[in-house]
Amino acid sequence: MKTPELQQIQKMLQEQGYIGDDTIAMSIFLAMKLEKPLLIEGPAGVGKTEISKVMAKALDTDLIRLQCYEGLDSTHALYEWNYQHQLLYLKMQEQRVQDLKALEETIFSDKFLLKRPVLQAITHPKNAVLLIDEVDRADEEFESFLLEVLSDWQVSIPEIGTIKATSKPQIILTGNRTRELSEALRRRCLYLWIDYPSFEKELAIVQTRVPEVDIKLGREICAFMKELRQMKLEKTPGISETIDWARALASLHLTHLDKQLVEDTLGVVLKDWQDLRHTQDALSELLDKTGVTSRIG
Amino acid sequence: MQPNPIEIQTTLSGNIVLLCRFLRGKGFPVGASEESDALLALTHLPIGNERYFQKALKAVLTKNQYQQSLFDELYLEFWKQLSKAGDSKIKQVQEPKNQQSGRREKEARFESLKDWLNLNPTEEEKQVASFSDIEVLAKKDFVDLSKEEMQLMMRLLQKMARRMAHQKSRLKKYSKKHRQLDLRRTMRCNMRHGGELQHFVFSQQKEKKLKLVLLCDVSRSMDLYSRFFVHLIYAFQNAYDKIETFVFSTALHRVSELLDNNEFEKAFDMISDRVPQWSGGTTIGSCLYDFTNEYGYGMLDKKTLVLILSDGWDTGAPEVLKEAMQAIYKKSKKVFWLNPLAGSPDFSPDALGMKTALPYIDVLASAHNLESLKQVLYQFRQKRKLRNTSLV
Repeated sequence: MKTPELQQIQKMLQEQGYIGDDTIAMSIFLAMKLEKPLLIEGPAGVGKTEISKVMAKALDTDLIRLQCYEGLDSTHALYEWNYQHQLLYLKMQEQRVQDLKALEETIFSDKFLLKRPVLQAITHPKNAVLLIDEVDRADEEFESFLLEVLSDWQVSIPEIGTIKATSKPQIILTGNRTRELSEALRRRCLYLWIDYPSFEKELAIVQTRVPEVDIKLGREICAFMKELRQMKLEKTPGISETIDWARALASLHLTHLDKQLVEDTLGVVLKDWQDLRHTQDALSELLDKTGVTSRIG
Repeated sequence: MQPNPIEIQTTLSGNIVLLCRFLRGKGFPVGASEESDALLALTHLPIGNERYFQKALKAVLTKNQYQQSLFDELYLEFWKQLSKAGDSKIKQVQEPKNQQSGRREKEARFESLKDWLNLNPTEEEKQVASFSDIEVLAKKDFVDLSKEEMQLMMRLLQKMARRMAHQKSRLKKYSKKHRQLDLRRTMRCNMRHGGELQHFVFSQQKEKKLKLVLLCDVSRSMDLYSRFFVHLIYAFQNAYDKIETFVFSTALHRVSELLDNNEFEKAFDMISDRVPQWSGGTTIGSCLYDFTNEYGYGMLDKKTLVLILSDGWDTGAPEVLKEAMQAIYKKSKKVFWLNPLAGSPDFSPDALGMKTALPYIDVLASAHNLESLKQVLYQFRQKRKLRNTSLV
């Protein structure tokens, strides 16, 4: 498959409604060109996962997603044998006299193999996009499983041998930095750090994703979010929260922020009880900084 | 290590290789594969755009956020040096090494410390001087222990630590004992019976060791306890996956390596040599803040216990301490604050530092005698209870 050029990627991101800067486009471009996995880190809700969705859409291929969690092991990520089928098959074959070796070969064949996301991705007919989400949540041992796939594009299954990739998937790994990823994993990937967006970028995102929102309201929302992120919060809201909020306010057909309104809808943005309380205490000050004057009536 | 002199190169690829070397010198993990990636990346770029050039190299040569933040500046510096190198050979300024070689006589070796302590017997010690069984030992303050008691104590503690240091992880591994069926191996094993299930194979949970981070206050008020405690933890260090040790008073010092590579006493002497403020005043807040900034990301995770050994007498600003404690609390499995003063019955966390830190402490313990220490070790294995400091 032919990989798109840099300008095409920038255009592609834009068409899919993803407002990214040159750094993001460059990383995606190089990841495709060099056929390397892309490791994306950054705070929650800045669009790390979104990149893979956009890529899959733009390349017109499937997105295969592997959500990581503590205790995730190879049987859930790579492959597993279908034991029920194996047992049933053996029962069926019981009456016939058969060569044991041939029997073994049959039940440890492709037919009885359950493909988990990683194996699915490398045997996919089209170059799929494989999203390994929140890789830092999985145990360190899991990283070692991944290494073989990431660098050699193959999975070793003791009973069959090595399955080589029929098509190289585009791999995206995301992480929230809950723990340090191993140096070995990092070195096999290209690295991209996405931070909270600037005011202009966020405004552009809001306008693209929620076109029905009033321009002035959009400005106020973004300015408020910017100030809000300056506060020391347990869970700093990301772009997804901004979009949710803009959508909520737009659906109420509002054109301006005011204190009462912010107080009533703050739950869309903040998901922690203490954060809510602190913000409510500092609301007047926050709104002043945002430039929202409270109106009477 | 002699820095690589930068000479002017006529070819672009030559300069890229030089840049890689330059970055390697600055601690970037740039190996041959990164070099080839960088060269390969450039072949794909549209020609003549300096900005793309830099961005592409940044994407290929950096591997974490910290490196990304440094890259742009280093990149500029490199080209500046490179153009200078055209005129004359540049001399790289070697960073002044801060090595104080004059070995001071140390006043506080561990043994002499014990002797000194034993010269000042307390009431309690007089009481129990004649017999020393475990019961009594368990309630005795560590600073009141004699040499023999100390050895006995260490043996007891080692036993305890070994028992407690093993924890279950959620990954499974093959075993004969436990009742979790390993289907894959069961199938394999029963192949020879034509698929009739006759034998079962079970898997067992894999053991997971804990990681510890010790932050020891070595200001004057805490020196004795800190020495003792670090000694103690290192006495059974093989029970843990990893122990990182820091000492602080007005500044933070990482001493893990010293303790790993030397005999304990020698190590501590070397530490007191290196730490100029040894046994001076304390700024707990700024020291802990430095820790979270410099090491927090790499060392703290949900498997790591943080033990802070201090009396909470902070001379710095409470906001800094609060912020640091918040960060540590959030990123670690559990936070222990060991305050020997807490051993006295009329203790209340009055010191301002103590008060500030309290909401972010899981267990506040005195750890001044065996019984209390046992409680602490027991707590190592317990899950975090939310927003509730328990006093043991």
